[in-house]
Amino acid sequence: MAVANDKQREPFFVGYFNKIPAPLVPFLAIACGMFVAGMGLLSFSLATTANDPGDGRFVWNRVEMTGIITTEPYPVLYAPDAETGEPTAFLLSGQGKRGPGVGRTLEDGMAVLAGGVLLKRGSIDMIQLAGGERGVKPANGGTGTPPEGFAPPEPVSLGRWRLTGEICDGKCYQGAMRPGRGLAHKACASLCLIGEIPTVFVSTGNVEGEEFFLLADKDGKAAPDAIYDLLALTVSLEGEVERRGNLLVFKADFDTAELL
Amino acid sequence: MSVKYVPVTWNRNKLIYDLVLIAGVVLYIYVYLMVAPAFQAVTRPPDGAILRMQAFGSCAFVMLSVILCIGPLARLDRRFLPLLYNRRHFGVLTCAVAFVHASYVLGWYFAFSPVDPYVAMLSSNTSFGQVQGFPFEALGIAALLILLILAVTSHDFWLAFLTPTVWKAIHMSIYLCYALVVMHVALGYLQSAENPVFAVVVGASVLTVSGLHFAASRIPARAEPERLEEGGTGWVVAGDVADIAEKRGITFDVPGGERVAIFKYDGKLSALTNACAHQNGPLGEGKIIAGCVTCPWHGFQFDPASGRAPAPFTDKIATYRLKLDGSRILLDPRPNPPGTHVDPVTIPDELAKVT
Repeated sequence: MAVANDKQREPFFVGYFNKIPAPLVPFLAIACGMFVAGMGLLSFSLATTANDPGDGRFVWNRVEMTGIITTEPYPVLYAPDAETGEPTAFLLSGQGKRGPGVGRTLEDGMAVLAGGVLLKRGSIDMIQLAGGERGVKPANGGTGTPPEGFAPPEPVSLGRWRLTGEICDGKCYQGAMRPGRGLAHKACASLCLIGEIPTVFVSTGNVEGEEFFLLADKDGKAAPDAIYDLLALTVSLEGEVERRGNLLVFKADFDTAELL
Repeated sequence: MSVKYVPVTWNRNKLIYDLVLIAGVVLYIYVYLMVAPAFQAVTRPPDGAILRMQAFGSCAFVMLSVILCIGPLARLDRRFLPLLYNRRHFGVLTCAVAFVHASYVLGWYFAFSPVDPYVAMLSSNTSFGQVQGFPFEALGIAALLILLILAVTSHDFWLAFLTPTVWKAIHMSIYLCYALVVMHVALGYLQSAENPVFAVVVGASVLTVSGLHFAASRIPARAEPERLEEGGTGWVVAGDVADIAEKRGITFDVPGGERVAIFKYDGKLSALTNACAHQNGPLGEGKIIAGCVTCPWHGFQFDPASGRAPAPFTDKIATYRLKLDGSRILLDPRPNPPGTHVDPVTIPDELAKVT
């Protein structure tokens, strides 16, 4: 049996003829209109329902802070609060995807004048250090003496916790990129961590009201290479949480890591 | 049809087609970048580069979905055929939009690092052993490479140079490309999307593309050919003269899987292979225009008696022998070499009047 072509009497279009068969014109006009309108509607729907990237941002004014650097698990500057004099933590980074110690030596207990621009998100700020001595130089006119009577806070253990959340690079999450988290950002976060940007943990719950932790291994050292396979995913980790002034450090046991 | 190769043989239809395409893309990008941000419920707006990579990436995905719907739509409803005619323009534009997306990703996520951006793109995520966190960028790169190959070889020069069979095989990789893009999206952005709208759009795309292809694959329903009993000559009954409208054709599957198109014109019948020499378009769904069988896909033409394209073109397709038994059309299923002239079968006046 042959297949009878039941469409034999329909208008026939040949593209290299300039004329479109008249019966096809309304149909094609509607199809084209629907395509263009559909593109606009889809675009609006997708763009307006994108994730909220949060309030992280650069503050493009140079700041200078005199304080003391601690280096474990990552370099942090503690400077006296302008009003209370209490030690306030500032995470540190270099330019781009480079850690604060790239191109310079940062030693534990160094008293320095740090300069750069602030990255602000939530209660913890980060300083993107300027290059060379504009970024870090010995405090108090080059003498390296710390502010009188000032010392970084002593760590206080807040006990053992199992936390669920996302491992991020501290700089993008702070606002260097918006959004600076999520799987779409995973490769960028990997590059940041390769460049020695501090690793942070953003929890879905909170410990003493804080959801943001500097992430260390269980011995308080920089997070191990194992984090690269956990990065930007929802992960559950167990470990000790430690308060260091206004900064919480999560000393995670990576043997307990579970992907959720 | 063109006797020499030029970049694009523009005509009014192509201009309108491309203008509609560009209008759709420009509107999509404009709304995403300029209109929608005012309606986003965000604490602070996303980075401009990230917004642009989202805009161009999602636009390319939507365009690719639409492209893959055109083919089956044209099979299901021939009024969509004009959209098929310049589909390669759609593909080239999609490739360009996807390339812009990739450029923003490369220039933002993979920039600002001591590592070379191209090296970083290939090495910064190596979690190939897990589904969650799989380096979805690699899937996107593979899809973009396929789009680039298809765009570069979309011109008729490559069709002739590679031969239609090879060209068609290469261009069927658009389905692999689509699968890679779906995985690229599903293992990447979709995993972090807090709002279900994007998941709904991706799901709707997959369901629509696969559903339309399934529906199109169900037509036409083909029956086994009825063999002529007498003599063991191999001739088969291919249909009835009354089945065919004037200047139109029917298709018929001969034993062995070949499909033949039989045309009626000017009181005569001729049979040709159903596959156009250009892109294997269904000639049986074409029409006799200016005395030639005209392919419904791109308008390639062939003389119905000889299977030869009109001069100065040199394309040739196989012809078949026909004869009539009353009003029944009998076909010799053995194809003649391409371009072999076969005298058309004359339809007797009494049958011609009936039809």
